[in-house]
Amino acid sequence: MAAIRRHGPAALLLAAAALASAAPVVAQQDTRARVQQLASQFQPLRFTPPTPRQIRLSNGVQVFLQEDHSLPLLSVNIVRKAGVVNLPDSLWAAGWQADGLMRTGGTTTLPPDSIDKLIEFYALGLGFQTSYEESSANVSGLARHRDVMLGLLFDMMRNPRNDTSRIRETVASVEEAWRRRNDQPASILNRAWAQVMYGDHPLSRTMATPEEARALTPERLRTVEAMLFCPDRMIIGVTGDFDTRAMTARLEELFRGWGRCPAGTRPMPPVQFPEGPRLVLIEKDVNQSNIQMGQAGGIRVANTPEYFAAQVADFLLGGGGGFNSRLLQRVRSDSGFAYGAYSNWGAETDREGLFAASAATRANKTVGAISLMRTVIASMVSEPVTAVDVRLARDNETNSFIFGFESPAQIVGRQIAYALDGLPANWFDLYLRGIQAVTPDQVRQVVERYLHSDRLVTVVVGNPAAFERPLATLGTVTTMRVEDIRR
Amino acid sequence: MSWHRLTAVVALALAAAPLAAQQPSAGERLPVVKYVLPNGMTFLLLRKEGAPTVSFVTQFRAGGVDEWTGISGTAHLFEHMLFKGTPTLGTRDYAAEQRMFPRIDAVADSLTAEFRKGTSADSALMARLRDRLRALEDSARQYVVSNELDRILTENGAQNLNASTSNDGTNYFFALPSNRAELWFVLESDRIRNPVLREFYSERDVVMEERRLRVETQPMGLLREEFLEAAFRAHPYNRPVVGFASEVQTLSRNAVQEYFHRYYGPNNAVVAITGDIDTAQIKRWADQYFAGIPAGEPYRPVVTQEPPQHGERRIEVEYNANPMVIIGYHVPNAVHPDAPALRVLASVLTGGRTARLIQRLVVRDRWAAQVSAGQQPGSRYPRLFTFIAIPIAPHTTQEIETAIYEELDRVQREPPSDFEMQRIRNAAEFSSLSRLDNAFFLAIQLASSEALYDDWTRTFRDDGALQRVTPADVQRVARTYFSKTNRTVATLVRPPRPAPTGGTN
Repeated sequence: MAAIRRHGPAALLLAAAALASAAPVVAQQDTRARVQQLASQFQPLRFTPPTPRQIRLSNGVQVFLQEDHSLPLLSVNIVRKAGVVNLPDSLWAAGWQADGLMRTGGTTTLPPDSIDKLIEFYALGLGFQTSYEESSANVSGLARHRDVMLGLLFDMMRNPRNDTSRIRETVASVEEAWRRRNDQPASILNRAWAQVMYGDHPLSRTMATPEEARALTPERLRTVEAMLFCPDRMIIGVTGDFDTRAMTARLEELFRGWGRCPAGTRPMPPVQFPEGPRLVLIEKDVNQSNIQMGQAGGIRVANTPEYFAAQVADFLLGGGGGFNSRLLQRVRSDSGFAYGAYSNWGAETDREGLFAASAATRANKTVGAISLMRTVIASMVSEPVTAVDVRLARDNETNSFIFGFESPAQIVGRQIAYALDGLPANWFDLYLRGIQAVTPDQVRQVVERYLHSDRLVTVVVGNPAAFERPLATLGTVTTMRVEDIRR
Repeated sequence: MSWHRLTAVVALALAAAPLAAQQPSAGERLPVVKYVLPNGMTFLLLRKEGAPTVSFVTQFRAGGVDEWTGISGTAHLFEHMLFKGTPTLGTRDYAAEQRMFPRIDAVADSLTAEFRKGTSADSALMARLRDRLRALEDSARQYVVSNELDRILTENGAQNLNASTSNDGTNYFFALPSNRAELWFVLESDRIRNPVLREFYSERDVVMEERRLRVETQPMGLLREEFLEAAFRAHPYNRPVVGFASEVQTLSRNAVQEYFHRYYGPNNAVVAITGDIDTAQIKRWADQYFAGIPAGEPYRPVVTQEPPQHGERRIEVEYNANPMVIIGYHVPNAVHPDAPALRVLASVLTGGRTARLIQRLVVRDRWAAQVSAGQQPGSRYPRLFTFIAIPIAPHTTQEIETAIYEELDRVQREPPSDFEMQRIRNAAEFSSLSRLDNAFFLAIQLASSEALYDDWTRTFRDDGALQRVTPADVQRVARTYFSKTNRTVATLVRPPRPAPTGGTN
């Protein structure tokens, strides 16, 4: 191996040609040693990430633009930090279904069929999303259809018709989704989990009920569409084959006459997570149990450096660390209990998130798997992470940062996300430096302070008759019937 | 924007639509460099402007169809095993590991021998053997550095690290920062030459969990598995890639090793490398790291051909969930001259809200929550054109079936209109460009096309072929393949009363 490295490229070629027909030359390499040797030789990357152009339209709307003329394609994203949690409860379901109806329900001047034909004739990807805390509209297609793309998107945002025929279609589809809501164990778990962790909070709502769907009217939908899709604090991202000046002028035209957002939205109500320990069982006759356990995450993004330490802890417990995270290593690789075992330590800019860990395991290992997952979470305190562990997280973050700049859509998308969350434009750098500065001691402190493996809320969907021993051996069990899951 | 103005735009575009000439598509014109080592290993190199990253995809001509009776799931389990290391990676003491393998395998073989006895098997003995197997493999872990390959790649910032097994082949992939590209050569050349199947039996359990996750607890997963078993009587497309439960549970290290020796020669591999690369340097590394691997057996495609079907087949799958249906017709493989017309037919019927079946069943009548047409389960061999539909109660799968058959017939009476054809051509034009946008996805496409058809341009040729399909072509394929005799229908129904779903505890 070392001999090969000393030769220049030409010698290498000759050697390889000779080798191909003869016996293998690259004798049994010591791969670990070779990797270590290479790692000390990598040249630094030379790369200046492109910075998207940032402008403000005359109405204050912020636009990030990144031209990319490699392909004749264009993509436009419009996002607002306002979602269904910001709507009054009476309008929640209308908000939840509004995205679909904005796509299918036509506009005041174009009937639904015409919209469908235009979108499909021009091969546009065009859609809307109304999620918990954000709403967005996006369109992509061939750049030469720029005017049709933008014209349609803005017409659909500003003048939705919510045609009653399409409302009927939505109601039928919601009713059928409702009938099917308990057909898959993961669907039961997700809905039960949301209910257990978020109670009556709007974040607990995972689907509209048939009653709510049947109460949809064009007027109610119009009300929420106007509240969610309006210019105040709207942010736009444009990438692809376009000219910035012409695009800016076109956007100005499209906003003309579009006034302020109507009143009526509210800040998200505060979230109160339940106190554990709790153990909730939902019976479902399946041969694999779905398990989720968690607790209040305790941390906001602004709580630096604790936030960065929690990110590293999560990476090493069951997040980005992949097979070298403790959960996947112990639950999957060492025990063969599950295909996946993950954690996610959530944190929001303005509030704490949820810490959760999940896995799916065969029925007759359910209790053992839950027990093992708790032990692994507890190990973050009892067997603190080492400098080697923390270096893995740091190296990964440092060396993979370049993958955040692979496409203009990624670069612009990230700027939009930062702007929505009120993070500085250089958050990417601050985050990287934050992770790089985390010490093993900080990780230990953050898990000691916030992760309480003895107080986790655990929800299990499975068939207790097939468990290897009663779930009650792990603590007091509350049984929840699938009918008790409200939505 | 006024409706009249936009409608006028459509009319104008229709009138102006040029007849696509037989010129190569954008994909076919990519400056791909093909480099074949003397041992037959093929490299496809594509330099792409952008961030300094490189994507690597290795596709082997080794999939589910290449398994033999009794070892279903081997292609996929081997894919998992290729992350377990080599004699010099993933180990503290390889010699000690090697000494333990026969002891562990002997217990596993005893367990399988007992399992083979079926109903007369001694379950207490099997439980003891399982415990013994676990204890021995746990004891072997003292010599293992578990997931070391993953650790090295994680440290070096690798992205998209994964692999996937299909009926037709298996691919392995990740991307690296371009300054670390040589790492791929070191690691990939080692693992495809010297894989060590350590932690084998616990990984077998992991695959069983994957099977429960994707098939046994999923109504659609279970329905699809049984549908393929009914539709193919002879061709190995009838076998689930994840494997039958009884076979996965009894796969032996030796069988999996044998599969490796048979199919993982370098001549059976296609590597696509895309992104920020120096082509000359890549070729040198290819020589340095891979040229010394001896060629293996040439790939021999499956000899079995599915015999013609002589009558409609219908199956029911009982499961405690709401109804759904899969309807399939035997059609040729993905490079048959009729393949583009079949794709256009699928789009006429379900390629959007204006498509005939969606328009009728979802938008107008509200009988179905979902209806989609596609082709599965592979590409290399003759396969199935399928419809998957989810009815909206009280409408039944039978009503949906009838509507689908009526729409297939209607294609004869009402050929695809100018609007329908142009919509599909425009969509094909868009996708012919958007598919070139991402370096990683390009590598996947290049490796797959070359591995399946010995021609990386093949996958891009359909971009042009789709433009040339005529309404008469669509009518002809609809007439040729969509007879009742050629059809298999699988319906998910509720059992008379909720019953255990069976399974593999």
